[in-house]
Amino acid sequence: MKHIKKALAAAAMSMVLSMPAHAETTLTVHYPMPGFFKDVMDTISKKFMEENPDIKIQFANPSATYEEGIQTIMRQAGTAEMPDVTFIGLNRLRMLNERDIPVDLTPLVAAEGDMAAKGFSDNILKLAQVKGKQVGLAFATSNPIMYYNADLVRKAGGNPDVPPATWDEVIALGGKIKALGDGNEGIDFRWQGDDWMFSGLLFGAGGKMLSDDETKVAFNGPEGQKAVEVLDRMVKQGGLPVLTKQAGEQAFTAGKVGFAFQTTGALRNTIKNVGDKFDLRTAHIPLIDPVNGRLPTGGNAVVILTKDADRQAAAWKFAKFAAGPYGASVVVPGTGYVPNNELAAKSPDYLGNFYKENPLFRAGLEQMPLMQPWYAFPGSNGVKVTQAIVENLSRIVEQTATPKEALDDAAAEVKGLLPRS
Amino acid sequence: MADLAISGYSPIETAARREARTALLLASPALVLMLVFIILPTVAVIVLGFTDFELGYASFRFVGFENYAELLNSRTFRKSLWNTAVYTAIVTPVSIALGLGVALLIESEPRGRSFFRTVYFLPVASLLVAMATVWQYLFHPSIGPLNALLAQFGIPGPNWLGASSTVIYGLSVIGIWQSIGFNMVLFLAGLTAIPRDLYAAAEVDGAKSALDRFRLVTWPMLGPTTLFVTTISVINSVKVFETVKTLTEGGPNKASEVLLFTIYQEGFVFLRVGYASAMTVVFLAILVVLMVLQYRFLDRQVHYS
Repeated sequence: MKHIKKALAAAAMSMVLSMPAHAETTLTVHYPMPGFFKDVMDTISKKFMEENPDIKIQFANPSATYEEGIQTIMRQAGTAEMPDVTFIGLNRLRMLNERDIPVDLTPLVAAEGDMAAKGFSDNILKLAQVKGKQVGLAFATSNPIMYYNADLVRKAGGNPDVPPATWDEVIALGGKIKALGDGNEGIDFRWQGDDWMFSGLLFGAGGKMLSDDETKVAFNGPEGQKAVEVLDRMVKQGGLPVLTKQAGEQAFTAGKVGFAFQTTGALRNTIKNVGDKFDLRTAHIPLIDPVNGRLPTGGNAVVILTKDADRQAAAWKFAKFAAGPYGASVVVPGTGYVPNNELAAKSPDYLGNFYKENPLFRAGLEQMPLMQPWYAFPGSNGVKVTQAIVENLSRIVEQTATPKEALDDAAAEVKGLLPRS
Repeated sequence: MADLAISGYSPIETAARREARTALLLASPALVLMLVFIILPTVAVIVLGFTDFELGYASFRFVGFENYAELLNSRTFRKSLWNTAVYTAIVTPVSIALGLGVALLIESEPRGRSFFRTVYFLPVASLLVAMATVWQYLFHPSIGPLNALLAQFGIPGPNWLGASSTVIYGLSVIGIWQSIGFNMVLFLAGLTAIPRDLYAAAEVDGAKSALDRFRLVTWPMLGPTTLFVTTISVINSVKVFETVKTLTEGGPNKASEVLLFTIYQEGFVFLRVGYASAMTVVFLAILVVLMVLQYRFLDRQVHYS
């Protein structure tokens, strides 16, 4: 007994002695997808602590996926285990905000004054806003681009140096690549999983998901009809096969698909998987309406959860740092995400030279002015709605429904899932 | 005598009571664990099934049978019930038959026994999530080896995991591949327990062919093992999840939506914990009914030596 008491006393003493003289704030940071973000987070937090010796960053157990991450946060919200800072998928910010979990950053942004000078343009700030409220700061952002196999394009009689700029050209060339035979497919379009790539077509036509007051479905208007017709024509004329998400990726990296449309975030992995099997190129994704067309933004945002004033101040410093030019210069080369910070993109201190040397990464960068928030549906069925859209898209890809039927069914289902008020 | 009269119990009764108390005391750690990890969570799920609880909200309301009514009318739930039934109806009998076949072959040939045992058991030990990528490639409609093989014989291979008409069969093949090894090991254990002299006796009685010996000795003696394997196989098939989650995400158009995946989607992606709990209760009820039926039906036919 005596020994234990002594040991305890010694431990207590040493703890007191090791306490630093100045007040130190410890921030607990939580993030999803460690396979993707662990190195990035370690690098950023190390640099941050060097610059801010009075703030210590410790990481909570990372969650395997975005979904698991948001569950963890919702379970811990309001308890002592809740982390101070977390990273949430851009399409889930609304869900989190409806539950009143994140701290409103609007006053902090206003107090900062010169956010634009630090590379946070209004357009970038808007990506992580829910109904005008600044819920977070966009951390890693992406937009959809076109990947293409220059060898197949050449074989089919196209000029890979002048990639197709409209869907008509893509579909025509895709059809020719399919006609080469030998298991070649024209197009892989990432319609599975969520509504993001459909948004790419819809926003690209200048359309929107719901009416401005969010009470009526708007994606079945003329823009939406054009969007599903393009998808239908990709299947009928462009050589788009019915593939699962992974099978599509495998076929493209094996050199058997002409064009692949998906997030620029997959660029680094695609480059790695393709190796030198073929001449991989990237280009802008065509817009159905080149004038009014926009593109959805994927990725995540850094969100502050702590209600404690001191920790909030420290968390705001960290959020600005992570989402700022240094953070972007760490995230972009490792993934293919586009810089969520305009300073990072242009300044040679950060990524200016990187883009000169890595032309494949430029497609996403050049599309940045077109980025608008990934629309999140209101109400408790907000996520389920996206499922209804994907399921009806699969009917078009499998050719079991006409584009009009599928779109009308999707609209009817979504209408039933919207909040009744 | 006077003391005993006061306490009102005979010495035997006292001893019995003490023994019962000791028994309870000894069993209590197990009972507490059961209560905490099995009974309480189940009760919690049943209670949540009657609420509209959504993850992240502080409060919830009791809604009676509303969740169950929604379940009855849900196209997704009916579809996923049907898909699970089809999957189970394919995977259970095929994996039992093949598992038994492999076990008999391995048992009859002493050479390389442990090698084959290991080879067939590998799928059980391998991580399914990692193997999923391999299966995705094997089943690939244009670059996959399986369809390339079929093409050699002039058979146009189906779009295994991509098309809604074939996806459940593709998943079934993976399910069978995964459970043959497990069933084989159980059958091997059952086979070694059969006394050799029974075969000798059967031969004396005129059972000359291998088929006769199987029909008259092996099969009846394997009864308890088969019952156990069937039970485990059905449970495992109904619980199919990883392949669906990693390979098809329930698609295309709900063609591979199975019960556990639907529960996962509702509870963990859509965060509708109340509704997902109601579905879990139905899922548990289905499993219990299946088990009861199976035991009632099969137990009568099983010969326990």
